[in-house]
Order: sequence, then C-alpha cells, then structure tokens
Amino acid sequence: MSHTRRDFLKAGLGASALLSLGPVAPRILAASRAGNRDTVLVVLQLSGGNDGLNTVVPYTDDAYARNRKTLRLPTADLHKIDEHVAFHPRMEPFLRLYREGHLSILHGVGHPKPDQSHDRAMRIWHTADPERPERQTGWLGRAADHAWKPSAVETTAVFVGPIVRPFALNAAHATVPRIRTAQDLIMRTMPGENAGQHALADRAATSPDSDLLALLRQATQTAHAQSKQIEAVIEANAGSRGYPSSGLARDLRTAAHLIRADIGIRVIFVEIGGGGIGGFDNHANQLGNHCALLGQLAEAVSAFVGDLQRDKLLDRVLLMTFSEFGRTVKENGRRGTGHGAAAPVFLVGGKVKGGRVGPHPSLTDLDNGGLKFHTDFRQVYATVLDRWLGFDSYAVLGSRFQSLNVLKT
Amino acid sequence: MVSSPAKVTGPPPSRPVSLASPDQLADPAWAWAAYEPSAARPWNIALAAHLHRRAAFGASWQQLQQALSDGPQRTIDRLLRPQADVDIYNRTQDDYEDAVRSVNELRAWWLRRMIESPHPLLEKMTLFWHSYFATNGGAFNQAGLMTNHLRLLRRHALGSFAPLLQDISRDPALLVWLGADANRKAAPNDSFVRPLLETFTLGPGHVSTEDIQEAARAFTGWFVFRDQLRYIPREHDEKPVRLLGREGHVTGDDVIKTLLDQQATPRTVVRRLYRWLISEQDEPSETLVAPLAATLAEDYNIAAVVETMLRSNLFFSGQSYRARVKCPVEFAVGIVTAMEGMVSTTQLAQDLAELGQDLCHPPTVEGWAGGRHWIDSAALAQRHNLALALLQGDKPYGNKLDPWAVAQRHEQASLESATQFLLKLLVQDDVDPDVRDVLLEAARDAEGDTPTFLRRLAHMAVTLPEYQLA
Repeated sequence: MSHTRRDFLKAGLGASALLSLGPVAPRILAASRAGNRDTVLVVLQLSGGNDGLNTVVPYTDDAYARNRKTLRLPTADLHKIDEHVAFHPRMEPFLRLYREGHLSILHGVGHPKPDQSHDRAMRIWHTADPERPERQTGWLGRAADHAWKPSAVETTAVFVGPIVRPFALNAAHATVPRIRTAQDLIMRTMPGENAGQHALADRAATSPDSDLLALLRQATQTAHAQSKQIEAVIEANAGSRGYPSSGLARDLRTAAHLIRADIGIRVIFVEIGGGGIGGFDNHANQLGNHCALLGQLAEAVSAFVGDLQRDKLLDRVLLMTFSEFGRTVKENGRRGTGHGAAAPVFLVGGKVKGGRVGPHPSLTDLDNGGLKFHTDFRQVYATVLDRWLGFDSYAVLGSRFQSLNVLKT
Repeated sequence: MVSSPAKVTGPPPSRPVSLASPDQLADPAWAWAAYEPSAARPWNIALAAHLHRRAAFGASWQQLQQALSDGPQRTIDRLLRPQADVDIYNRTQDDYEDAVRSVNELRAWWLRRMIESPHPLLEKMTLFWHSYFATNGGAFNQAGLMTNHLRLLRRHALGSFAPLLQDISRDPALLVWLGADANRKAAPNDSFVRPLLETFTLGPGHVSTEDIQEAARAFTGWFVFRDQLRYIPREHDEKPVRLLGREGHVTGDDVIKTLLDQQATPRTVVRRLYRWLISEQDEPSETLVAPLAATLAEDYNIAAVVETMLRSNLFFSGQSYRARVKCPVEFAVGIVTAMEGMVSTTQLAQDLAELGQDLCHPPTVEGWAGGRHWIDSAALAQRHNLALALLQGDKPYGNKLDPWAVAQRHEQASLESATQFLLKLLVQDDVDPDVRDVLLEAARDAEGDTPTFLRRLAHMAVTLPEYQLA
C-alpha cells in the first residue's frame, strides 16, 4: 500500500523540489496515491480501568439503580441512545458522533481470564496474550515488526504523549518512537543551515557500493521531505480548530497533524488518565473525577473528528478506545467502585458501521462483581489489524480470532 | 543560495579503503591474518577512525593523530590494554554507582564512562553483552540489581565466555526480568532456559521443545527472593535429565557446561561479534566463522577473538568499513568524543531513549536488533535534532561542545583551516566531492561569525548519511 508514495518519491521528484513547493507538497504527495491511501489506526488508552457502566449507562435496568446508590447518574441528565442505554451527561459529543454514524459501541469486551491487578490486566491488553502476559512484545509492536521491510524508510507506529511509551508498542525489531508533539519530527536547523541541508537531501539516493548507505540516503531524504510536510501542516492549521485545552486534545491534535502530513504512519497511540495506575481508577468519590475525564475524552475525540472531517480525512482514520478493565457493578461504600471485568470499547471513524454491537452484559450475572464479557478483545484487535490496517492478525496474535462486522467495506 | 553541485566527470574518486577481492574473502587465512599497511592498502585517517568507531566510541583529534603515527597494530595494543590505570578509574565510578537510586540514574553514569573511560573498548564490549544478555531493569525495585548486572557484564566483557555464562545463569537481574525467579520442582520454568538455549548459546535452529523442558528441570530449585539468589534443595528435581546426549542427574551448572561443549555455541558468539565488530551488511560465511569458533571453543577467551577480528585484513577492508549502522549511543557519544567535551549524560540518556536505545531497558531479551532497524525517517529526524541540541551551544545541553574551540586547540586558527580540520575529524574527508562542496559552500555563504559557521558545519557533517555508519 504505502510503497506508492515511496515509488513516487524515488521516481524523481527530489526532496528539495518538494520543499520548494511548500504547503502544496503534501497535497501533491496525497494526490499521487488517490484511491490507494493508507488507513490509520488511532488507539486511545483509558488508564486506570474505566467504569463502563457510568460511561454507557443502562439507565432503564433496575439493577443499575440498585447497585449505584450514590454513583447513579440522574436519568434526566443522560444523553439517550435508545430506550436501554445512554451516554454519561458529559458525553454529549459522543451522542452526536453516534447519531452521525461515526461511532460504534462494542459492548461487553473482555477475555476469559480477567485480572484485577492494574499491571497484569494492562499487560494482558498490551500483549494481547492472557496466557502469557509476561511475553516481551506488545501487540502493536509486533504489528510494527511485521510491517517492517528491509527497504522501508517510513516509521510505522508512534506514541504521542508525555508519559512513558506504553508496552503495547514494544517491538522486538522495529523502532517505535515516542514523540510529544509533531514538532519533534521537524528537523530543526541552525541559522543559515537550511539551504545546505536541502542541497544535501536532494542528492540522488543511490549508492554504488553500500546498501546501508543507499538506505540512509533515502531515509534522510524522506525525513527532510516529511519534516517540511509536517511544518506546512502545522502552519496551515495554526488556529485552534476547535480543540479544547486538555492533554488528550493536544495529543489528538498532534495525531491529526501526522495524519494530514501523510508520512506513512499507520498506528498512533495516545492516552488519557496519565499512565501508571491511571486517573480512571476511582475507588472513592468517583463522580467528579470520572465526569471530568469523560468530558475531556468526549470533547477531544469530537474535536479530532471535526478536524479530520474538515479535510475529508475521516474515512482514512479509525480510533479505538480501551481500558484495562471495567469496574464492579456495585459501588463500594466509598462512593467509588472496585476493579471489574468487561467494558465497552468505542470505535470512531468515517468507515465504522455505527450503532451498538452486541447486547449490554447482564448486571446480575457477574464475573467477580464485574460484567461478563461476550466479545474477546482479540476479536477487536483482529478486526482492526486485518480489516482496517491490512496487516495479518494471525502473525500478530498467534491465533485466528473471528473478525467483527463493524466496518464498512 | 547554493548553486547546484557541479557534475563530477571522469573516474570516481579513489576510496580511502580498498575492497578485498572475492578470492581473499573466500580465504579465512587471509581474512583473519593481521593487516599490514602497504602501498596498495595504506594506513590512513579513514582506517584510524574506523578502528576507533568499532573498538571505542569514536576518536578525538589527538587519538587519530596518535594512531596515524603508531600504526594499526600498536594502536590496537593500546585499545586492548591501555597504559592508564583502568582499575582505579572503574573502582571510582563503581563507588559513584553504588549511590544511585534509580536505574535511570545508572544509565547516566554508564554514558559518562563511555565518554571518559581510559578503556573505551571495555565499555564497548559491555554494551555488546548488554544487548546479548539483554536485561531490562524497568520493573526492578532497586537500582542495585541493575548495577550488579552491568558490573557482571563489565567484569567478563573481555574475559572468558564460560564464567560469563555461568554468572549470567545466577544473575538475579536477568532471572527477575525474565520471570525466572521461581523454579519449582512441580512447575519447571522455561523463561530462562529458553533464551539460554535459543539465544545465548545454540541458536534457534538447534533447539527442540524437549531440550527446553529437560533443561528447565535441571534448573529447578533456584529462586530469587528479595533480589537475592537462593537454592532450595527440596525444590530441585533429582530425576534423570536427558539433554544433548547427556543423561543422568543434571544441575544448572551441568547444563551450562554441556552447552559450552556444543559446536553451535562458539558459532553463535562469533556471529554476534562479527555483527558488532565487522559488518551488519551480510552474514559471515561458515568458512569465515569456523576458525574463530574453533579458537573460541578452546578456552572461550573473548578478548582473543576480539583481538583477531580487530587486527584482521577483513576488518581493515572495504567490506567492513562503514558496514554497520551506528546505534544511537555510538552516534551521540561519538560526537561528544570528537568535540572533546562532556555533556549532561542524564539528559543524553533520556534523549537516547527517545531514539529507541534506552540503556538498561532493551526491548526484549534479544537486545536491540540494530542495523537497518535503526534507520527510518523518524529516527533520522530525531538524530538530526539531537545533534543540533548537542552542537548549538544552547539549551538543553548548554555550551559544552564547541567546534571552533576544538579547532583552535589543535592550532587551526583560521576559518579555512578549521573547516578542513572538522571535515577530517568528523568524516575523514571521505564524502563524495559534491557533498564536500555543498558543505563548504553552504556554510561559507551563510551568515554568522566563525564559531557559528563551524557549529553549522559540524551539524551538517554529523547529519550526513555517511556519518550514521560505523
């Protein structure tokens, strides 16, 4: 898929020719691959174990009111999806995305061996291996390893954020960088250095006597071209573009820059909750904190979608949320909840089918106080790998998992 | 503006390092024989720098000049057995490291050693073993586990592979990281023996599932409690083990001895050393590996193999020259070494982590894959920006590296001579003429005073594709 752009670059339009085009360059690059454009997966981690029940609320279920004496959200404030479930009061933007058909709710996602420790549960989601969570690579790291080719010079996957790179991206061979902003991939120069750097980057990327040198020349040239593209994109989108001021909004805005710059990145990982035992872990006085986080989540994702829509990029992007576990159905006497099991996953993008997928799990037939899963999280992974990225999920997950019919073809 | 580089006509410029002929490459006697400079294969600054990129972390101007006057073999003597009192230096550094509280702090101390140690080859080989027995200290409660692990690697880095492997099999850091800290009779643990057989010794093609199961039983009884290794006899499985033709009651130590007796083991080590010291461009032929593997098998003397490789015709041939990609550590430490300075290694350790080489946190037990895996567009942009941060004389590294000051120190007092000097120091003038022209012209035409000019030139030189090669 992505070789189209490389071939195009190789075909003769040297880096500095692209550079001289300034902001026009990215569009030319994109046009060269019209109809054959790469899809991008954005994975959004909710750290700490998100309370799915107060995110997508089964408001007509008696058991919800019974188990949530203080945490029950007032029905009148909810954003109703249908006569069974509703979004949290702060998630109005998600209802809008849902109505527009750009958001799917996958109910009851989990796995057969739920673990109540944050570390182990997160490790399972990161490795995609409940049987061997001690294994040393993450599922997206393995995806990057499998996408890697000896002649490839474009970076496949990045983590965008201020925290340590999540383990999901740990690869055995591929380099998966952490960046804080898109600026990190702009090649900064000293005053007066630009012209020379461009002249150097413009040299033919061929080498008579060394494969490694040829590859380095090509990668250097590509890095310069991409740097210019990112710069142009940032300049053209200097305005606020409707993003709220939160860490997640900043990181998703960076993700949008990278997508718009069209530099071959296929996987972008972002996070809300601060990593570690994250902000979603509310054992006491959950309401206010959860409210703030879900508000940030909904506003940031909706701004991201709006931003991509403006440039007609939403069809190329699929965003997927996950958290290490849901929470207990019953609140814990401290206006909080304990570590649960299954929870909903959101899929957002121009090519999602929309709607609710699968039944809401029972609130009375439980797994250790948490909801029982009916959809294995690896089915979701397999779906995004096979059907969205065009990677081989078997190579990444080590088994075949049945894909979900959640994407438009 | 810069004019287009002039078209180069006529025969290609002669390279400073000549390629070995196919006949020579096919002859291990020639390949591994000590290199003797000759009119056809002269000793020059390109080879002196090549040697220091592999056997050290690059060279200062003074080191290059010394090497030029001493010749290759005496330079290698010094790199292998420096005159300076290395033990005193390392003991002092050990004392500092005893006080570190975090693994991240330890990274900074190690980088400092790489920059200023009187025995850089020892650190270079410690880094090699760090990627060989790759241990990630990210989950350790205490930095001490990792400190001891690095000390173990350094102790044996140029010693013998046999005691190295033996100590590794009892290293709490490696065992904890692999999840091999409990080896019960009832549940033999293969987390250590799997990499022991597949990665450290025999190699993947030579290991069966049965071998791993049997070897795991031999290691039952070993535990790590509170970072301390313990042996609990009643947890050891006394039943006979069948491993690689050996049968009977077998302990962990017996497994190590058996593995060291296998022909595949020295080959695995030699192949990894070849990638580190000779070339990542291609796998060595069996003919080339065989004699070194035979030497290694005798007493597992690592230094002897390293020495043979470094002194060899093959090492000083075009097949080895610029045939590896510098890992991020080599890239950054090389800049600092050439600029004769010292920078904040706390900051540098962090920046190198962003470049994909987080010391003390290798990605998997197989270490950093290296080679082409270091090369992609984001990585090169990050290298470019790290070099800028190091050389711009401003935050975050401050004015620690100053090309103009270095040039003056070596009596290059004019802009013209300082320019020549920098190109020799950083790329030994071994770049295509058009690149050279662009470097000189672009910098000369642009704004700024001499110090600024030279910072710019240095940055352009270290961001060249050629500079990324070791």
